[in-house]
Amino acid sequence: MKKVLEGSQAVSEAARLAKVQVIAAYPITPQTHIVEALSQYCSDGTLNARFINVESEHSAMAAVIGAASGGARAFTASSSHGLAYMHELLHWASAARLPIVMAEVNRALGPGWNIWTDQTDSLSQRDTGWIQLYCEDGQEALDTTLQAFRLAEAVNLPVMVVLDAFYLSHTFEPIDVPDQEMVDRFLPPPAPRIRMDTADPCAVNQLVTPAAYMEMRYNTQLAMEEAQRRLVLIEKEFDTIFNRTHGLVEAIHCEDAEIIMVTTGTVTGTCREVLADLRSQGEKVGLFKLKLFRPFPADLIRRHLKSAPKIAVIDRNISFGAGGIFAQEIRAALCNPDPHPQVFGYVAGLGGRDITPDTLVEIYNRTKNDPAPAEETIWIGLNQETIESWRN
Amino acid sequence: MKDPLIDKKLPLFIPHSSISTAVNKTGSWRFFHPKYEEKTAPCSAACPVGQDIPGIEMLASRGQLKDAWQIILEENPFPAVCGRVCFHPCESACNRASMDEPIAIHHIERFLGDTALNEQTMADFDIKPPTGKKIAIVGAGPAGLAAAYFITRLGYECDVFEAAPEPGGLLRRGIPAYRLPRDILEHEIARIENAGVRIHCKSPVNECSLENLKKGYDGLFVGCGYGRSFILNIEGEEFASDGLEFLNRLGVGERISYFGTAAVIGGGNTAIDVARSLARLGAAPLIVYRRRIQDMPAFEPEVAMAAGEGVRIMELVAPIRIRETNGDSSSSVPGYELTLQKMKVSKKEISGRARVIPDGNDTETIAVQNIFVAIGTVAEDLWQFPDSQETKSLQLGHCRFFDQKTPLIYGGDLTNPLKSVTDAIASGKQAAMALDTYFEHGADAIEAKLADCRVGAGPALSMAVYLGKDRKNRTAHIVNYDEIVSDYFQPAARNIPSTIDAGQRIRSFTEIESTLDNNAAKEEADRCFNCGICASCDYCRLYCPEMAVMVDKARRSIDMDFCKGCGVCATECPRNAMALEEEIL
Repeated sequence: MKKVLEGSQAVSEAARLAKVQVIAAYPITPQTHIVEALSQYCSDGTLNARFINVESEHSAMAAVIGAASGGARAFTASSSHGLAYMHELLHWASAARLPIVMAEVNRALGPGWNIWTDQTDSLSQRDTGWIQLYCEDGQEALDTTLQAFRLAEAVNLPVMVVLDAFYLSHTFEPIDVPDQEMVDRFLPPPAPRIRMDTADPCAVNQLVTPAAYMEMRYNTQLAMEEAQRRLVLIEKEFDTIFNRTHGLVEAIHCEDAEIIMVTTGTVTGTCREVLADLRSQGEKVGLFKLKLFRPFPADLIRRHLKSAPKIAVIDRNISFGAGGIFAQEIRAALCNPDPHPQVFGYVAGLGGRDITPDTLVEIYNRTKNDPAPAEETIWIGLNQETIESWRN
Repeated sequence: MKDPLIDKKLPLFIPHSSISTAVNKTGSWRFFHPKYEEKTAPCSAACPVGQDIPGIEMLASRGQLKDAWQIILEENPFPAVCGRVCFHPCESACNRASMDEPIAIHHIERFLGDTALNEQTMADFDIKPPTGKKIAIVGAGPAGLAAAYFITRLGYECDVFEAAPEPGGLLRRGIPAYRLPRDILEHEIARIENAGVRIHCKSPVNECSLENLKKGYDGLFVGCGYGRSFILNIEGEEFASDGLEFLNRLGVGERISYFGTAAVIGGGNTAIDVARSLARLGAAPLIVYRRRIQDMPAFEPEVAMAAGEGVRIMELVAPIRIRETNGDSSSSVPGYELTLQKMKVSKKEISGRARVIPDGNDTETIAVQNIFVAIGTVAEDLWQFPDSQETKSLQLGHCRFFDQKTPLIYGGDLTNPLKSVTDAIASGKQAAMALDTYFEHGADAIEAKLADCRVGAGPALSMAVYLGKDRKNRTAHIVNYDEIVSDYFQPAARNIPSTIDAGQRIRSFTEIESTLDNNAAKEEADRCFNCGICASCDYCRLYCPEMAVMVDKARRSIDMDFCKGCGVCATECPRNAMALEEEIL
């Protein structure tokens, strides 16, 4: 049934439909609406789950780790500093191979104190062993959350469903909320492989010596690689039931493109419009939406991007001293084939600054006009007056 | 339709073991070890008889009222009496005061005492096997009765000789019924008799008969108190009545009506009792005191209660003359004029107390209907003064022991530095321990044995410790508030029973305070921190990360194979009943 929902509610609806059994979360803008709705569902009986109130995000993650260790389907949500506070336990969740699902609403880290969107928070958790999926709109957020449970439980790895703050989390759109019966067909009750049980005492995650640690890590790497293949299968099954699919990546007009713009999250929606405009003006431009970031789909990236002369990657994040994180990874994925495209890295829209169609056109034009990237990282939309003022 | 490949099991390589972790003897990591170490509560140390107050409150809070009462009887034969008349120094020492208000210890003691009386609970006395020895006791006041009670429990035959027609001493003769109803006193004395004590009333002992007692008995305790009042030594003294004698007459049931101003000379508890009794008999009492109100030796709450009942106090005046008059202008009945010398505070102090001196020749004369004197008492006969020069004697905290052919102990008011009912009981208990030690191990062993029975570092002694019960394992360390983990306790108001308002209470000798009801008493007892003793709260076991705390029949112990010495148990113990000790390798 179609409903007008904000992106946050799309995620809570998905968690409800997934019949999560344990939720533990600590409120933080812009994530709060997600768990607010779920706590309501727990209290009014809509959802038969245990909502654990905690004093911090660190404890929230610890609680869902505990729940998942007991075999429960567990969910949490966070943003920004909250996510950063979970950091060590994010490593734990993945290495313990617990199929936890977390909604992560991208928010800038302070200082300066800022509640608006910025991907640096989730990308800072890049190496924690979590699968990361970046969503473009409310429908994708709902569908991806449902798929996330299926994927997490298939490969025994935690999944982070990532949403842009406000542009997605607080924006109302018509969203198809599927029937419970259809969701039940897609997502059966959990059949946990890890399930601590007081009737059968055991110890888990104890000391591992150098003799076995590396194999343990290799095992996780294999599962991560497998996750990409499984997600393809999951999407197919999702499609047969719900008649919708979003893809791990999406390539539009990439085959003949001279310049391919690479986007993540809600910027993709804006770029779809810009692409149509530029194409109508005869520009040979393509759009590549990167949804799956971990595991990193290098093969898909090479397949779709390697024959274009120029790639423009838009990063709403910054790794200080290096540049946009997506650009670095894409550049690395493309560097071996010969010849390979010129990769232009653009940093834009940090801390919730709008990325408008004009911003994207400016990026396109710079990419088109410059034979090669003038700098490793090109900052778009900087206020020159402010910068001049520092020099005085 | 379902794709089986989606859920095809992947190899999962994670650390997992079903082998018991008991093989990992974490005890080998230990540098510190925790231990159960009960300590002394400040209330117990402050109590003249060293009651196990934290233990009493713990049992009372659980509704084990008889058990709680028995714990009192271990150290004190007078729960219902002391719950009423003791000036409860325990409450001033209570750690709970640092959080909100001290525990209403005396109200709970009274509740337990009264409950046992109302329910006619029989005490389970543990009486040691007969020693075949007989002890004579002079005086059936609190000291003598306590001595008899404890001596009997230690396996001696005991005869108490009392001059008055009824036992009780000052409890009967000196404390008005509005503070201590007679039936309460009589029931508690009856229980002492049930333990096997023989009380012989109307049997005064004099210097001569004392010598006979020495021949007929193996040991003696003299606790006859102070029988003679100090006199004023002023002109017209014969017109003044003796306050103690007045209370004595009331105690045996006499009721006399008064009117007009009744001057009460003195500032001690007796003066207050006399004044408050007079208020109930129709007089307008006026306390005349030579020092200032803050210097009065009377207990402060008593002074406040007296003021509430309309007792006026004139401070810094000393009587110098009494003359008969024809009565004041408003009365046709003859009365007296009392001339007072005004006093002033001198800069010098005598043992911390302000010294007062006459303020020139300034005097004042007041018209009164009656005059009572309550300026203190002294032993009635010379033989009742323990000879402090005697070399073969021992000064104990509450007694003086004379190592004679027949050992003799003086106690109660004759030797106590602080003259209170509870101190008198303390001296009776100390005498019992001293005599028993004397017969078992000789006079030289007395001091060391009594020192072993101390509660904390003070003069209070514990019979439970003397008898080798569990209480002997408590250390002398007095738990202070900083050692209480206050996070475990919620602030809660003190439960106190209702009192009759002042207007009502001066109409009769009805007891002023009521007894706490069952729920309030339990609730109040539950406020107690139980400083220094294990209350079986089990936090040590719950917090132990190695599950090394074992419980067997409510006793806890630590499995040293697994205790790694982290100290969480001792740190979390809410009441400091544990300790952490470094292991010297």
